[in-house]
Amino acid sequence: MIDFHTHPLLVQEILEREPDLHRIARDVFYIRNRPQPLETFLLELDVSGLDRAVLLPIDASTTKGCQICSNELIAELCQMSDRFIGFASVDPHKESAVDDLEHAVKDLGLRGLKLSPPTQEFYPNDAELAYPIYEKAQDFGLPVVFHAGMSWEPRVKAKYGQPIHLEDVAYDFPDLNIVIAHFAWPWVLEAVMLALKYPNVYIDTSCLYFDNPVAFMRFVIGGQVPVSVIEKSLRYKVVFGSNYPRVEIKNMVKAVKSLGLSDGCLKLIFEENARRLLGEISG
Amino acid sequence: MKIKLEKLEVQSRGDKELIDITPEVERVVRDSGVKEGVVNILTMHTSSGIIVTEGLPCLEMDVLNHLEVLAPEEGDYYHSRYLDIDGRLGFNAGAHLKSILGGISAFFPIEDGQIVKGSRQRIYFAEYDGPLCRTYCVQVMGE
Repeated sequence: MIDFHTHPLLVQEILEREPDLHRIARDVFYIRNRPQPLETFLLELDVSGLDRAVLLPIDASTTKGCQICSNELIAELCQMSDRFIGFASVDPHKESAVDDLEHAVKDLGLRGLKLSPPTQEFYPNDAELAYPIYEKAQDFGLPVVFHAGMSWEPRVKAKYGQPIHLEDVAYDFPDLNIVIAHFAWPWVLEAVMLALKYPNVYIDTSCLYFDNPVAFMRFVIGGQVPVSVIEKSLRYKVVFGSNYPRVEIKNMVKAVKSLGLSDGCLKLIFEENARRLLGEISG
Repeated sequence: MKIKLEKLEVQSRGDKELIDITPEVERVVRDSGVKEGVVNILTMHTSSGIIVTEGLPCLEMDVLNHLEVLAPEEGDYYHSRYLDIDGRLGFNAGAHLKSILGGISAFFPIEDGQIVKGSRQRIYFAEYDGPLCRTYCVQVMGE
């Protein structure tokens, strides 16, 4: 079972190597938990019954003057445990973005791309800025995780995260697999519409904006969208994501399992859909 | 009078668990050289605790299960909201309440360099929201 959405920002071993990452985590990404040894991350997976986690960085060099974990650090973490699946991030404002992605894949062995349009301040359908990156990702067969919906980061606007901007990308790059993160809350129906219509659009479950994980997940799936839509229409299009360490993995697992989805649907959400996106299984 | 403070780390491995820290506390007392005095044990976290009970796995389960009844994980808590100081939601009120109910510290006298406690008493670090790397304090005071 796979967690498709984690941010390894508070791992002690990495912070010892890159002390400024602690400041970036606190002041830019705005996560203020106490740093923990790598062992805690792995134990969190164990307690949650998961095998592996996708590690996501954000390259916000232009807009925030920093990388919210660099591709190199992601690759280092992947060297520390074979339970990690490293994704890259590139800054769309940098001329080197396409080359940076190529380096991340060919030299660092990273297996997907993370972009956060609100943090990086671009509309994902900005063809001039972003399409060359998508072309390269499509050539490599990389899934692209887009932050969508509300962000807790300060000085970040949600307008860049409205999922409707991803329709052009899904339309223009039919062979590029897109993952809309956080159920794009509050634009849940827009995200669902895209995932229903476009074979290359997926959604991850990493959403929590009020109450607790169980209550919020039931509000989104069961409230904003009927559970049956996930069970019947989107069973192949939803992947489990926690957004750890903003939320503990164990709590998001419990929330998703509380929805009343069938065992077969849960197996797809927790494992098979992610593995298909990663190219580990076909079909 | 000697006063010696040690901050010790413990890695919890489960969501909720009791970890026997008696040997570590005894070691700190031994290392302090204090023959007559007191030892205080305090957790540094508000979602964990220090508990003294008999060292039996069945009792460990009963303690955790009963605290879960008194302060369930799922509840209608005001704490379930976005916390600016953490950059995340605080939905672990149940863990905080367990910490209050179970207590956050323990105290024992020291006599002739030994902790004075009942033969069945064990000192536990109580994890209510793990797994996490946690810190607790052991302070020895005396002559």
